[in-house]
Amino acid sequence: MFLHTNKLDFRSWVVIWILSVLLLWEGVAWILHLFMSPQQAASRLPYLHDVLAALFRYSGTLAEQGAVTFGNAAIGFAGGTVLGLLLALLMSVAVWVERTLSPYVISSQMVPVIGLAPIVYGIIHNAEWARIIMAAYVTFFPIIIHTLKGLKSAAPEHLELMRSCGASLPARYLKCLLPSALPGLFSGMKIAAPLAVTSSIVVELMGAPDGLGVLMVSSLYYGSAQIGMFWATIMLSIGIGLTSYLAISLAERWLTPWQPEFRAKGGRAA
Amino acid sequence: MMNERVMVSRKGEEGATAAVSGTASIGESIADSVRLPSPSSTNIHGHQGQAEQRRLGSSIRKRSIGLRLLPWLAGALFLTLWQLRLFHQLFSLESYQLPVPSAIAASIRENAEMLFRYAMYSGTEMLGGFLLGSLLGALAASGASFFPTSGRAAVAVMSALNAVPIVALAPIMNNWFGDGIWSRIAVVAVITMAAMAVSLFKGLTSIQPQYSDLMGGLAASRMQVFVKLRWPHALPSLFAGLKINMSTSIIGAIVGEFFIASQGLGYLLSDQIRLANMPLAWSCIVIAAVLGIVLYEAVVLAEKRLTPWNRAHTDP
Repeated sequence: MFLHTNKLDFRSWVVIWILSVLLLWEGVAWILHLFMSPQQAASRLPYLHDVLAALFRYSGTLAEQGAVTFGNAAIGFAGGTVLGLLLALLMSVAVWVERTLSPYVISSQMVPVIGLAPIVYGIIHNAEWARIIMAAYVTFFPIIIHTLKGLKSAAPEHLELMRSCGASLPARYLKCLLPSALPGLFSGMKIAAPLAVTSSIVVELMGAPDGLGVLMVSSLYYGSAQIGMFWATIMLSIGIGLTSYLAISLAERWLTPWQPEFRAKGGRAA
Repeated sequence: MMNERVMVSRKGEEGATAAVSGTASIGESIADSVRLPSPSSTNIHGHQGQAEQRRLGSSIRKRSIGLRLLPWLAGALFLTLWQLRLFHQLFSLESYQLPVPSAIAASIRENAEMLFRYAMYSGTEMLGGFLLGSLLGALAASGASFFPTSGRAAVAVMSALNAVPIVALAPIMNNWFGDGIWSRIAVVAVITMAAMAVSLFKGLTSIQPQYSDLMGGLAASRMQVFVKLRWPHALPSLFAGLKINMSTSIIGAIVGEFFIASQGLGYLLSDQIRLANMPLAWSCIVIAAVLGIVLYEAVVLAEKRLTPWNRAHTDP
């Protein structure tokens, strides 16, 4: 640690960086307002305090529509997680299932599954269900891949010990395999959460009757009159994505405290 | 009996990576492209690899050939049932809602020229944003690696970009860069930047203490430590970041085109759905999938060429 020169700790640096990003935002907005007409500048980057004011002013509508988007995304996310977990367990129990499905699950990572959102909405024509199904669908694949990887990271020595003690299959899963799969499950969930929100909003863009995506599109079409609203919806969707990510990270820290990143010292080399 | 089952499942794990449908390398690479791989998990993998080799018999080899054919059979069965309209009967769908594979294939043939042009356009957006974003992320991670605490905090703040829904970025970038190709390139660049910074920073800083002690003992300068120790050590993480970015960049490009674009696969897709021309919409998906897989494979190939020593470490 010969590079260690400053005395500030990690947390205060995080705060410093966040504050400097916010300051940078205000500064850039100020420069834009100097050189452009207010309308142009506001559509590029409005003042941060203007955005916050708009968030406050439209908080009723935003909360209502945000709840629709977030609720559907969350239901789909939960359903997709449960299904993905079940299928991952099935794949770890039965080899032939894994063999049959794994190439498709793997290549699903390279395929823009979100592109299916408009198609799914075109097929069901029910905004609620389309959002839930898309969120579940997008969640499903990362969960399977990462849970399966976690299940396989169980130390063979532990499994051998359990077998030699005559542990049953459920006992092996509950006591050894599932705990070792938890970190994988969480990393899958962290990848999937923003995607679930995105897919839910994409369905709304394609003509659902309510939700944040609708607000976003309509405020875009009204142009400069709705700039505050537009930025408020953007900030809210970023907020939803970040909150769900942070919530999952907290749950991860709480449920899997043994992971090296969470240990106080010594987990991180150099 | 139990023992055999475990043996088979271990073998299955290996086979899943070494098998089928031309995705041999994809398997292992996806498996190691998890975000934020922890140092301990690689250790576990190392142990497991040894135990695996000890335990592997030759008796399973024959069965593995049969298992290797399974995905192909499943895929063919799925397509046949789809073609025979089983799904239409199950979910009471009509052909105009869910076109059969032959209709999609016919539509691809008819519109081959346009699809190719749009695929090139979307591919340019993807690659441009991918390269720009990965470069920016790599620069950020390299800079941050010189400052342990503040750098780690900066990367943590940057990683918040990972959680930003792409749909929120697309209209902002549209306001900034107009509705030309640059707005999608910017969307892709922003979403790929964070993943690269996080992955590479982890690689640059998770150096085994013995090595950095040795470099310190030899009075190496910070720059020498960076060039001779951190950078070579971080190459696997660089490629892990590139692989994550390749798969997110196609989503970024397509979703960006949903918003405002006059060309590209995403534009064609949303446009054709408004016109209720489902076969062409599905062919957009198919072409986008092919594009995604081809570009991903290119990254995997580059990884194999550039870090040949790394295979032993990343094999799951």
